[in-house]
Amino acid sequence: MSRLASQAQVLLAIAGALIVWQLVVTVMHVPVFILPTPTLIASHVAGNIAQMLGHLGLTMAETVAGFAIGSLIGALLAILVMQVKPAEALIMPVAVAVSMVPTVAFVPLALIWFGVGMSSKVAIAALAVSFPVLINTLTGLRRPEQAHVNLYRSFGASSLAILWRLRLPAALPSLANGLRVGFARSTVVVIVTEMLGAYAGIGQVIYQATAQMDSTTVWAAVALSSMASLLLYALLVGVLRKTIWWN
Amino acid sequence: MTRKGLLKSIAAPLLLLLAWATIVPALAVPERYLPALGPILQNARAVSGELLASVAHTGWEAVLGFLLAIVFGVVWGILFAKVGWLERSLFPIFVALQTIPVVAFGAIVVIWFGNTLMAKVFISFFLAFFPIAVSTLHGMRMGDRQRIDLFRSFGASQAKVFRLVELPTALPAIMVGLKTGLSLALVGAIVGEWFGDTVGLGVMLLQALYVEDVLRVWVLIIATGLLGSLLYGLVSLCERKFVWWRIE
Repeated sequence: MSRLASQAQVLLAIAGALIVWQLVVTVMHVPVFILPTPTLIASHVAGNIAQMLGHLGLTMAETVAGFAIGSLIGALLAILVMQVKPAEALIMPVAVAVSMVPTVAFVPLALIWFGVGMSSKVAIAALAVSFPVLINTLTGLRRPEQAHVNLYRSFGASSLAILWRLRLPAALPSLANGLRVGFARSTVVVIVTEMLGAYAGIGQVIYQATAQMDSTTVWAAVALSSMASLLLYALLVGVLRKTIWWN
Repeated sequence: MTRKGLLKSIAAPLLLLLAWATIVPALAVPERYLPALGPILQNARAVSGELLASVAHTGWEAVLGFLLAIVFGVVWGILFAKVGWLERSLFPIFVALQTIPVVAFGAIVVIWFGNTLMAKVFISFFLAFFPIAVSTLHGMRMGDRQRIDLFRSFGASQAKVFRLVELPTALPAIMVGLKTGLSLALVGAIVGEWFGDTVGLGVMLLQALYVEDVLRVWVLIIATGLLGSLLYGLVSLCERKFVWWRIE
């Protein structure tokens, strides 16, 4: 089946689901607090669009900043572990121990350390992203066979040259994988952190609306943030596919 | 696991604890940033009863949600593999749902169920379900076409092909999905408790945050990590016992 046709089928399924949702809620008189109709949610978003976009912008800025910092930390740590033997014994146990704890458990610590502003969200997103990037990059860096490494070495390549010409290109597809996993995690943890403490942001909107049992606002915030993170994810995947075409 | 591997996997955490116990007091790191191990343990002992009850409570929520997610996730994954139009129209939505902050739906679930055990179980289930379904489909796809045709040509029924070829091929991939799903189930239980509950690790985390008790936060981080490792260890144990083969 062609790409276009399969995309059409997905859109059809989404449209169908929305219509069924609308009909069921209207016909069965489901109370708004249990399930608002899609049109009500859409009109709520439209009615508060400026305010909503402000919150969304902040959340997405925190996500992207944390994602960038966390990716950089993860990739640099992976290179360090690869190049410097003693670093592995030092870094890996700490990284594994930290990764064993669900990131959400670090949220109170981030809020105490970095305050209620943006930096606590950036920090927690960076933490969530860095581990998958570290592990995936390291797997990629170790992919080249010893025979290839030896060949490079026999031609007089230094360890840095081997890293640059052999290991890094081999690691990039795997690094890209880590970035994809990491991105999905970073939006979640930013929103979760905002729920516990923030001046603004989608997570804070959700938290306050839940406390007031205002389920239309909750749905609107969830829908908006989902669309935004899907869009950013699609952008990321597109960029990665264009820049890392080999595999 | 070999004895050497076992030794190695135990030695690293022990060394880490030793380093924590010695380096932090030696450098006089402020407690606000990283308290020494001793005070953390004392703090844990002071609330040991509540802590154990919370670990059991949160663990139970996560396990129930996880088990539900296994049943529904694996069935959905197999349905996707068997029913073409279902997969074509719904699978992209499943993939998309993994990239969106599903946890935000937790607020809605709590509005639905109130502050009941059901609410947390449902959030755990909802978070763990998607990776399990996706990896089940992925595993079902790895079934060797030629091998399946060979079985069919010798008259094996659909059910037999499924039991003898497709499921054994899919299981290692399903186990990968289970591990992702497990950690998400734990996240779901903790975050679900933030919307209102009286016992649980999430509740204790919230209370420690409000009084800025850094020691208690560290106690809870360690407790959560131990709970996560314990559950992960159980899944790994099942994998090693029942799904020991590898698919190339």
